[in-house]
Amino acid sequence: MEKTIKKEIKYPYLTRPVEIYERECGHKIVLAHKEGGLVNISSWVKTGSINENDENNGISHFLEHLMFKGTHKHKAGYFDKTLESKGAIVNAATWKDYTFYYVTLPQGPDGAYFKEAIELHADMMLDPVIPEDEIGPAFTLGDDNVSQKRERHVVIEEIRMRQDQPWTKVYNATNANMYCEHPYKRDVIGFPETIASISRETILDYYKKHYTPNNITTIVVGDFNHEEVLEKVIKEFDFKGRENYQNPQHKIDKPVNEPKYIELRGKINTGFVITGWLGPVACDVKENIGLEIVNVITGEGQSSRMYQNLIEKVNEPVFNVVTTDFYNFKDGANFFVQANFKAEKKDEALALIKNEMQKVLSGDITQQEFNKAKKKLKARFAESSETVSDIAENIGYYMTVCNNLDLVETYVETLDAYTIDELNETVQKYLSLDNAVTAVLLPEG
Amino acid sequence: MKKIILDNDIPVILKNNKNTPRHALCFYFKIEEPESKAGLYTILNRLFLQGTKNRSSEKLAQELDENAIDCYSEMKHDFVRFKLQCLNEDFEKGLEILSDIILNSTFDEFDKEVIKLKGEIQAELDEPKSKAMDGFYKNVYENHPYGHTYTKILEDIDYITKDQVIDAYKKLITNSSKVISVVGDFDEENVKSLLKKYFSSIHNTDTKSNIPYANLKETKLIKIEKEDASQAQIIQGWHVPTIFDKDYPAIMVMNTMLGSSGLSSRLFLELRDKKGLAYVVRSSYEVYDKAALFNVYIATEPKNIKTSLEGFKIELDKIKNIPVSSEELENAKNNLIGKRQFFMETNLQQASMIAFYEDKGLGCDYEEKLINLIKSVTIEDVQRVANLCIKDPYVLTVLAPKEYLAQI
Repeated sequence: MEKTIKKEIKYPYLTRPVEIYERECGHKIVLAHKEGGLVNISSWVKTGSINENDENNGISHFLEHLMFKGTHKHKAGYFDKTLESKGAIVNAATWKDYTFYYVTLPQGPDGAYFKEAIELHADMMLDPVIPEDEIGPAFTLGDDNVSQKRERHVVIEEIRMRQDQPWTKVYNATNANMYCEHPYKRDVIGFPETIASISRETILDYYKKHYTPNNITTIVVGDFNHEEVLEKVIKEFDFKGRENYQNPQHKIDKPVNEPKYIELRGKINTGFVITGWLGPVACDVKENIGLEIVNVITGEGQSSRMYQNLIEKVNEPVFNVVTTDFYNFKDGANFFVQANFKAEKKDEALALIKNEMQKVLSGDITQQEFNKAKKKLKARFAESSETVSDIAENIGYYMTVCNNLDLVETYVETLDAYTIDELNETVQKYLSLDNAVTAVLLPEG
Repeated sequence: MKKIILDNDIPVILKNNKNTPRHALCFYFKIEEPESKAGLYTILNRLFLQGTKNRSSEKLAQELDENAIDCYSEMKHDFVRFKLQCLNEDFEKGLEILSDIILNSTFDEFDKEVIKLKGEIQAELDEPKSKAMDGFYKNVYENHPYGHTYTKILEDIDYITKDQVIDAYKKLITNSSKVISVVGDFDEENVKSLLKKYFSSIHNTDTKSNIPYANLKETKLIKIEKEDASQAQIIQGWHVPTIFDKDYPAIMVMNTMLGSSGLSSRLFLELRDKKGLAYVVRSSYEVYDKAALFNVYIATEPKNIKTSLEGFKIELDKIKNIPVSSEELENAKNNLIGKRQFFMETNLQQASMIAFYEDKGLGCDYEEKLINLIKSVTIEDVQRVANLCIKDPYVLTVLAPKEYLAQI
């Protein structure tokens, strides 16, 4: 069998260590044990909107759609039909740092479905045809005489769907204004104009450039013989000497140095607001833990400060919904406060959110709140070890975004050792009100 | 899996899953009386987490979060169910809090909860899809509690009183058939004694639901204007036999084939892959105790409304008039059976499913029977249920800018 470098990681709440194998070509394979009849096979590619520019914005996601359109061995539809007729869930997702493709299915008699799923998944990852007739002819937006409406139109419908979602609209406005140069400023899905006109050649070139052995991690989670499955994955993932590609490093953007405010209008009845801050890079686990903790304390669930102070304990209602959110990204996380409010009370709503953040900045987080947040983060690990797909997604994140699965093993330790003083330092460093970008969507008129 | 009956006559289903970090529990209370005003049970359900005689709503939320215990209630037309999920070592703590919520809720936060609910509904109705669904369900279940949607609740809610909520609560606790399920890595005797300790004051009564059967008398076309909508939202639905009917498995198979198997269903292939009409297009089969719906849904650029409706018609006529191939039938069955495993992967999903079947009177082991019933569905069955389900009357709801609604 081909030579690989093996490494083991203790993964909290799993009964056996997770195994990582690195092949000479750079392709990484991760095997994790989880009892039960289901298996999950996924491949994570280190590309997403981080590798895009104004000309090709949306190409990573469009390519993800087109990867399902057949290989030289199997025509379009064969993959979906064959696997779904065995009870599989097949799909894919594209985000800023990665694109991943997965199959979750019952193993089948003597693991027959499992084996076939590995074959078909590898075939799709390595040999997509991306046929012209599945992409559909390029067209000018608004042209009603397009005869062949194919995948370009499907993706444009996905964009339309998002245009109708008020939260997505506000998120995009906030996100775009949080960055100056970094590609993270772009919406992953891109624009209809680009999707309508981008050529097959451009898409194929993008595939060839980014879907290289060193940029792909294949993860298998379930109850199976590791040696056999490793051998099978290596055999099926034959890259045939495909050249590797190193993603460029992007300059990390500085946050805005004075508060930035954007106002949008739409045919709605309530107000939506998202305020965002730039956070630490993903591999800085400690600082990310810090902001995760702030997220739990300020805006997660009914015991959070925002919910208690801004919804439960007010005489006159201002907010309908108020939560916070925290996203990890390779080149810097995002912390968000997101709220829906009575449209006529915009100024009050913004002042109340600001006030809550000022309190956190003044260092008033209590030991009790701090302990609660730590317990919740630990329980989240237990939660994400319950299904094969959650385990795979967590591993995929650490392998692709952090480049380092060791961080999983030390996560609980790091969390336990983290102090409230460190938390306050992290808060000061990232959540200053001068560094905040706020977008608001209000009713017209 | 094991079924025991507690001294208070409540059936308990236990399933031991070794080496799992979290316990899961489901506690079902069947609703006996249909709500007189839209939102009565919704408000009751929300108030369960808003304070007890021993804990304020803030204290309750804090204690649950400090112990990383998920504990909440859900109201789904025919029942209110409580779900509890926590790390194994916190199970007793979780049960104690759950029993406090069930037995000692005060409903003192009634006024505030009404205001909060109204606000949340207004926010939700700013999403075109929610607005369209609201219009659909309100009309497909007109004059029936299943049709108590967001806008119906907004109409009725100011006429609901705290006393009515307390009255509904008392009936739910004293006069309802109940089921508990527990799934996790536990000691059986210990679980039994804990359930006795915390729930011995609640009794099971063999009560039948008085919610009436729902039926649709005439075809309705509901147009909802949304001037700046980038997509039209189209939902068409029919009343069909529900889970207690012999045709339940055959309708599930037909639904899978037509529009719910994932990327390979007929609607997905024809309307999305071949015609590029949509990102989301699907069918669904939703069952309740007194009615069930078969629906098709698409979100598409407004100028495609006509093409989409024609596309639906072609596919619906096809499955009614042309026998499906044996290969397609087998594929649909295997898809359906294989996917059942996903609904039972976690302890909470398992607890939820076995209590659901037990509550319906189908038996906690119904899943096994269902799989055999699915296997025995024939080509003729699929065609027969397609003709049984997809016929007038129906409700068609379209949300779009005004100029596109005129042509429908």
